[in-house]
Amino acid sequence: MAIALSINNVRHQTDADAETPLLWVLRDHLGLTGTKFGCGIGQCGACTVHMNGSAIRSCLVPVKDVGNARITTIEGLARDASHPLQRAWMEHNVPQCGYCQAGMLMAAAALLREHPNPTDQDIDSAITNICRCGTYPRVRAAIHAAAGGREGERR
Amino acid sequence: MSRTNISRRDFIVATSVLAGGAMGISVLPRLAASQSNGASEITPWLVIAADNTITLRVPGPEAGTGGTTQAAMLIAEELKCDWARVRTEPISYVRNVREGNLYIGATGIWSSFAGGNHAPEIRSTLLQAGASARERLKAAAAARWSVPVEDLEARDSIIRHTPTRRKASYGELAALAATIKLAEEPKPKPESEWTLLRKTNPPRLHVRSVVDGSSVYGMDVRVPGMLYAALVQCPVHGGRLKRFDFAAIQNMPGVRGVAVIDPAEPRIELKKPAYWASTEAQSGIAVVAEHYWQARTALAAMPIEWDLGAGVERRDTQQIYDAIHARLDQPPEDLVKDQGDAPKLIAAAGKGVIEATYRTPLSEHATMEPLNGTALVTKDRVELWHPAAMAMQALVIAQEETGVEPKNIELHPPLIGGSFGRRVGADDVRMVLAVAKKFPGTPVHVIWSREETFRQGRYRDLQAVRFAATLDDEGLPEALTVHIAGHNVITLGIVDSIYVNGCIPNVRFETSSVPMHILTGQFRGPGYNSHCFFIESFIDECAARAGIDPLEYRLRIVRRWADEGWSKCLKEVGGRAGWGQPLPKGHARGIAMGSWATDGEPGKGTIVAAVATVEVKNDGALQVHSLDLAFDSGRILNADAVQAQLQGSMIFGLNMCLNEELNVQDGRIVEDNFDRYSMLRMADVPRSINIHMGALSGHDRYGGTGEVGVGVVAPAVANAIFAATGQRVRTMPFRVDVLPPQQSHG
Repeated sequence: MAIALSINNVRHQTDADAETPLLWVLRDHLGLTGTKFGCGIGQCGACTVHMNGSAIRSCLVPVKDVGNARITTIEGLARDASHPLQRAWMEHNVPQCGYCQAGMLMAAAALLREHPNPTDQDIDSAITNICRCGTYPRVRAAIHAAAGGREGERR
Repeated sequence: MSRTNISRRDFIVATSVLAGGAMGISVLPRLAASQSNGASEITPWLVIAADNTITLRVPGPEAGTGGTTQAAMLIAEELKCDWARVRTEPISYVRNVREGNLYIGATGIWSSFAGGNHAPEIRSTLLQAGASARERLKAAAAARWSVPVEDLEARDSIIRHTPTRRKASYGELAALAATIKLAEEPKPKPESEWTLLRKTNPPRLHVRSVVDGSSVYGMDVRVPGMLYAALVQCPVHGGRLKRFDFAAIQNMPGVRGVAVIDPAEPRIELKKPAYWASTEAQSGIAVVAEHYWQARTALAAMPIEWDLGAGVERRDTQQIYDAIHARLDQPPEDLVKDQGDAPKLIAAAGKGVIEATYRTPLSEHATMEPLNGTALVTKDRVELWHPAAMAMQALVIAQEETGVEPKNIELHPPLIGGSFGRRVGADDVRMVLAVAKKFPGTPVHVIWSREETFRQGRYRDLQAVRFAATLDDEGLPEALTVHIAGHNVITLGIVDSIYVNGCIPNVRFETSSVPMHILTGQFRGPGYNSHCFFIESFIDECAARAGIDPLEYRLRIVRRWADEGWSKCLKEVGGRAGWGQPLPKGHARGIAMGSWATDGEPGKGTIVAAVATVEVKNDGALQVHSLDLAFDSGRILNADAVQAQLQGSMIFGLNMCLNEELNVQDGRIVEDNFDRYSMLRMADVPRSINIHMGALSGHDRYGGTGEVGVGVVAPAVANAIFAATGQRVRTMPFRVDVLPPQQSHG
């Protein structure tokens, strides 16, 4: 039984088993590999996508539960990497290995939607993703920069 | 002492990161993307297309250090090309074999590492590659216009002849330039004339693909006809697969088969460039299916029984710690260094002796990309898409596992989602091939779950040390004995420290091995990541006994060393961190220093000093408020990349000392995911992590900056805890041990 999904404003059909986590449907069935597998238990945040605009961890959501929700992945965040966060990420040279960064960006984008000018505390609460390379200070600086905040200059 | 005699040189590769860097590459599953649509190869290192896109071939994959961008900058410096049109691709390893070590011959085996571009021979090779191509382009223009080559100028991918106002782009000249043979290769310009290196910090070349989601890591490799495999190995290292019931799962959706990995199967054995961690096949089984989730679900459902082997006798972590500590009470096994008469001075000193025992636990690399790799094996050919940090090692393992000739083994390196030493040994490459070879002709993508990645690590070794020291009349160390016990002791961090190479006149350094079934390997700053904590904490104990301020104490010690970098680092970081200035109650500062890749000699490698400012609250909770670091790597190629590496390595070091400890239960590793293995997150990381540039000496070297920051954080924090509470923390992780009860050991 095919399941219908709305990903990045495109309708998709998948024949994946209904229990398959959204993460693996995105990656292995729909070819959207920008969303990463990190832990499989919702801890690391590498698989963060937006569901109706809110950040969720796609490794925990069976595809049958997505229903009519609008899913946005890193590939659909903006055309030509033009999202203010993507531009700030490039300007601040944020990524090191980069593997966790799609999840970081999606978590940050959801944060900015809710708090256009977030405080450091807002960032601490919203960005719970794990980065082993230690890019946290630059992630923080880039979020402030994208928000146009004063703290954005801090490295 | 064979086991302990692993040189620092062996590790350059592992985790090294440059004083430079960035990264590039959109990895293509197939080779030679650069040579499509009429592009011309000017030298084996670079290809120029008619539209002026320039593809620079870089030695080694990108694991996050910026090594590939740095390599590209080295070539581009001499090529004088338009940086905005530069892309990178990996050198072709199979071509290297087929064309008589085309690349490796020039630069040595180390060029295939993730870092190492700061090594002089690699730097000069890449600079030469750029210069040689530029002169061919100029020669092509000279021939076309019949003008003397001396009158031509190369800049921004354009050759100009000013007298006649003619100009041509590199793209227009590329085809002709590719046919030019020079009578003599040009000499690269002096460093003083560099315009790109040391002057600019361009964005790392792979960043764009990371932020738009198009980057291809090992996990993202897609090959037509590919199947997925979910792998499980014996949960107790060294155990064997006893039985399994494939019939129970064979009708599950998508399931195509099963692959048993048998360590007893005959395999050839070759000399390997990275030999310090086990690369032997581990007993295991993989379920192969059309999609990964199907494979994983079926694997979980398949009845499997293991013969757990002798490792199961290791009942808990404490049993292992006890064995390591007990070993310290026995005579040491290997003598590493002996100068003067340390044991005699210590035996004669009575109550004047300072003694302490320290310990560090097993740690997991926890790269954000779980282990995985893709391979296509046929009878006489291997194609491998694998996030291997050391290509040369991966190729040797591929040959061992399949018996295929090197000239028929092709490795396509994708981006690497973190290595920190884990992806150097290529034990993962072997397991991928062991699965794929059971499905000849079909590409198989083998994926370790996060739990499997944790359980099947090559961990940072657990070690304990016992120190004894005496002080001279001025309170400085006069004699020091060091005995380290561990599973597989790597001596770096002590053997190359200034303390045992001249600053302490009497030294005896010994090690002992306590064999263990658990597999260990290199981990960012191998040896040093434990030993800097050991020695810098102990030196702090000596300073306390002497009643001398810890910063002043170290300044007096480094006066005995012929490299001013040490005192410069101490003074710079002390000044910047406000050493000596008042702090609120419960707050205190601690200091530590360290080095990487000095080989125990002045004027080499990178030196650091760090200050931690911490607060110990009434309930014993520890908060690290700030970390400051000053360093001397001689010079730096790219300030932004160096800052990123040092800051990242300090956070890595902070996580090690606050959080990381793998426990053992009945031979198995207990912590198998991030719910049980804590990692620092945004809210936990000090807001103030400062890298200070003021101690850079300008000495003629480019020391690496990937490892050196890792070691100093733990002792700086531990020494700050002592300053705040009067209590020594002698074991990692610190979190639970900050206030009484104190550790029983030492």
